Amino acid sequence: MADLDLLQGTLDLIILKALIWGPSHGYAVARWVADTTGDDLQVEEGALYTALHRMEKRGWIAAEWGLSENNRKAKYYQLTSTGRNQLHTKTEMWNRYARAVGRVLQTS
Amino acid sequence: MTMLPRFRRLFRIDRGAVDVPVAVADELQFHFDMTIDELLAAGKSREEATREAHRRFGDLEQTRLGLQHIGRVRVTRERRAQWWSGMSQDLRYALRGLRLSPGFTIGVMLTLGLGIGANATMFSIIDPLLFRAPSHLAHPDLVNRVHLATQYQGKEFFRANYSYRTFLDLSRDTHSFADFVGYWPRNLAVGDGTETQERRVTGVSASFWQLFPVRPELGRLFSAQEDKVPFGENVIVVSWPYWQSQLGGRRDVLGQHLHIGKLDYTIIGVAPRDLIGLELTHPMGFVPLTSMATNSFEDRGAGRRYYDSYSMNWLQLVAERKPGVSVAAATADLQQAMIRSLEQKSALQPGSDPIASLKPRAMLSPIQFEAGPNRSTATKVGTWLVGVALLVLVIACANVGNLLLARALRRRREIALRLALGVTRGRLLAQLLTESLLLATLGAGFGLLLASWGGSVVRHTLTPDAEAGGVFSDPRMLAFAALTMLVAALLCGVAPAVMVLRADLAGALKSGSREGGYHRSRLRVGLLVVQGALSVVLLVGAALFVSSLRQVRAQPLGYDADKVTYVEQNLRGTALTDDQRYLLLDRLVQRAQELPGVVAASRTTSVPFYMDWGEPLFVPGIDSVSKRGDFVLQAVTGGYFRTMGTRIVQGRALSDADRAGTEMVMVVSQSMARALWPGENPIGKCVKIAADTLPCRGVVGVAEDIKRGSLSDDPGLMYYVPILQYPVGAFGIFVRTSAPATETADGIRRALQAEMPGNAYLTAQPLADLIAPEMRSWELGATMFTVFGGLALLVASIGLYSVIAYTVAQRRQELGVRVALGASVRSVLQLVVGDAMRMMAIAVALGIAGALLAARWVAPLLFHTSPRDPLILGGVAAALLLVGLAASFAPAWRAAHIDPATALRSE
Repeated sequence: MADLDLLQGTLDLIILKALIWGPSHGYAVARWVADTTGDDLQVEEGALYTALHRMEKRGWIAAEWGLSENNRKAKYYQLTSTGRNQLHTKTEMWNRYARAVGRVLQTS
Repeated sequence: MTMLPRFRRLFRIDRGAVDVPVAVADELQFHFDMTIDELLAAGKSREEATREAHRRFGDLEQTRLGLQHIGRVRVTRERRAQWWSGMSQDLRYALRGLRLSPGFTIGVMLTLGLGIGANATMFSIIDPLLFRAPSHLAHPDLVNRVHLATQYQGKEFFRANYSYRTFLDLSRDTHSFADFVGYWPRNLAVGDGTETQERRVTGVSASFWQLFPVRPELGRLFSAQEDKVPFGENVIVVSWPYWQSQLGGRRDVLGQHLHIGKLDYTIIGVAPRDLIGLELTHPMGFVPLTSMATNSFEDRGAGRRYYDSYSMNWLQLVAERKPGVSVAAATADLQQAMIRSLEQKSALQPGSDPIASLKPRAMLSPIQFEAGPNRSTATKVGTWLVGVALLVLVIACANVGNLLLARALRRRREIALRLALGVTRGRLLAQLLTESLLLATLGAGFGLLLASWGGSVVRHTLTPDAEAGGVFSDPRMLAFAALTMLVAALLCGVAPAVMVLRADLAGALKSGSREGGYHRSRLRVGLLVVQGALSVVLLVGAALFVSSLRQVRAQPLGYDADKVTYVEQNLRGTALTDDQRYLLLDRLVQRAQELPGVVAASRTTSVPFYMDWGEPLFVPGIDSVSKRGDFVLQAVTGGYFRTMGTRIVQGRALSDADRAGTEMVMVVSQSMARALWPGENPIGKCVKIAADTLPCRGVVGVAEDIKRGSLSDDPGLMYYVPILQYPVGAFGIFVRTSAPATETADGIRRALQAEMPGNAYLTAQPLADLIAPEMRSWELGATMFTVFGGLALLVASIGLYSVIAYTVAQRRQELGVRVALGASVRSVLQLVVGDAMRMMAIAVALGIAGALLAARWVAPLLFHTSPRDPLILGGVAAALLLVGLAASFAPAWRAAHIDPATALRSE
């Protein structure tokens, strides 16, 4: 399957989802995205970091420096309550959108 | 995904110096290290791993820059939010504090309000006089007034009025100026019949509209073609206020006619609302300068017409330098043109003083007239009052600072505790400053209210001619108030801030809130002494001005200014021969004498503080009479001395029996008799008027001296002749009434107006009104110094009271012990009051020293009053000590009646 271009806002949604299990650094988020989507979505890691920082600026996620599994200094991200709300509304929107598009495609 | 050992929020780690690029680099480095480790673990070579990591990541540099940008924006935003939250916290804290002590808040607000209000008031007066450029001026920085300094008898005089010919010479012979403007403001009769009123009309050269490139509210402005020599067009651009108040603001006024002076003018435009021109108030309108000349001057033949005469000096000149030309260069250019013009003048008028002896010096002075060399006494006094207002503000700030310090002292333990808990001193300072800033803001609001009210009162006395702007709508005024407010906030906040910075943690925490404070109040005492000393200075100033004013008022004028009205005739184009004018005046005198309430009336030539008539005098036995002074001629009818109330001290007065054909007589003033015939009896002496060849005029009487040109050192050299024997100066008459002239003047004018032919009309002014401006500077000085000095004293005594009361509260325990040990009421009173008096004594000593230091500069503003008058200095000192006694007595009384049991238990 060819690479899917990510729809606007989709990357944010994926990242928010990745953070739902607790604080995590950028590398872990990248791993999770790659593992979960397999080869279906090719996400450039650079874009992923940009999205992380943008959401930090917006206050959806908060960042803190901490120590990683292998005792190295790493920047950890975690959802804020605003981010959690965003995740809910975005998920909702995405589902409705996907259903609608699916219905349209089935009627042909 | 493991839980982290510990979290620390980013902005906590390196607050103050978040290094965004480093943080980004660290994060990315971590990402690459992890990726490469993982790939190495999967068996790739380091080279392959690195390549794969980069492939997955995409454009590294691009991303790095993007992340740095986002980071920087975020950090700035966070800092700002933090600052605001700190600020709003401080503000809420301060507000809560102030709400909890409303008495303190109101007291401080009033104190600062008075200080700021005094300054705002003085600023609103001084600003247009000295600093503000006229509105609509295209290049305020390039525009100057033209003054000419000349030396005469060793003194330098500054001239601001020039002939039209000089105006033309200077415009032609200079090259540094883009624009030369001549203007002449003049009062002219405007309107017809009963509507006629004298209003100020300004004649301006057409170049005025280059200086003020405005778009008229209505119609058009006039051009150089309409301002042509010899006759300009009779067109007028009316001012906005006149259009509104007299023409109803109607848009169909263009083309209407107005009778102004003796000419008929057509309205061609309405000036914009705030175009005032080069003076302080709106004229009723602007007319071409040449048309103003036609309106004002008769054609008296070649060399005496306004445009070819050098001796009619009626114009004021304003020049705009070309961009880039310095004042120095332009002055040099102007100087050579001025010399050339003066040379032309002396070529036309042989016998005038040689130019070199005048040492003429052309000057480019500020566009604000009062900032130039000929500033008025009112402005000088006003400048002093600015200083006084600043002192009042300093006193107010010292007082508020003292109160704030007392509050801070009371909170010593709280402050020490907070410091101990890790609040930075910067944060505490910010809090204290927020509080004083809040108080200053309240004070400034109140101060502006005061200024809008007080300003109009003071302006009325100081500069009745200046136009008042609204205090709240004037951005310069608001900016000034804001600045004063900041200064006040800083001044007030300094003392408590010093205390916080020097706070001794351990001591404050260990001791109770009461102890310690007492020893630390040296700063408070210092502030109090400063207040007291400044009050002394102001009160001395007040006493000096009040004494000057009393002296001025007590001056014998030599006539009853309150009962006499000067009625002047204005012919307004009605053609009358000299004889007809004399007859008309005689008729006015006669008619006036018939009016009810009129005691006497007389014709007159010279009017005190208004105009003088002089003729050359010749006295047998004296070489040059003019070397002995400026003698002023007063040609009058018989009732003159009775009308004015001037006493005859020797010989007889003039009477209506002294006519043409009878013996030629004159009355001289005492000082004239002394100047001409020292030690001799003046009666019967011979004086010749106008020419040495004329027959003798015998002195028949001596009159008391009068003040005519200056209240202070008027030589009073007057001589009186019967107008029937010397018919000159047919301008007006004096009328004496039994009631004060201010009440009767207008009635007289109305009654006499009926006698006037054609367009001729009368004006009537109480003589006292002509003298009033002479008194104004002293009146103002006396009033303002008294008001400000009183304010200062009030504020200082409140300060003293609060400090003493506070000290007593601090020493409650100690005093309680004393009382318990048997100290008498008297001794406790002595202890407390003695403290206060010591402070006041130091303040008085410092204040007197300050007043003596300032004496040299105030002296020229005073009138027959020594700035070192021991009575005044002593009186003020006594007054201050008395106030000190009064302010400290109540707390001392309370201290002496402390119940020792309560006092000792309370700690």
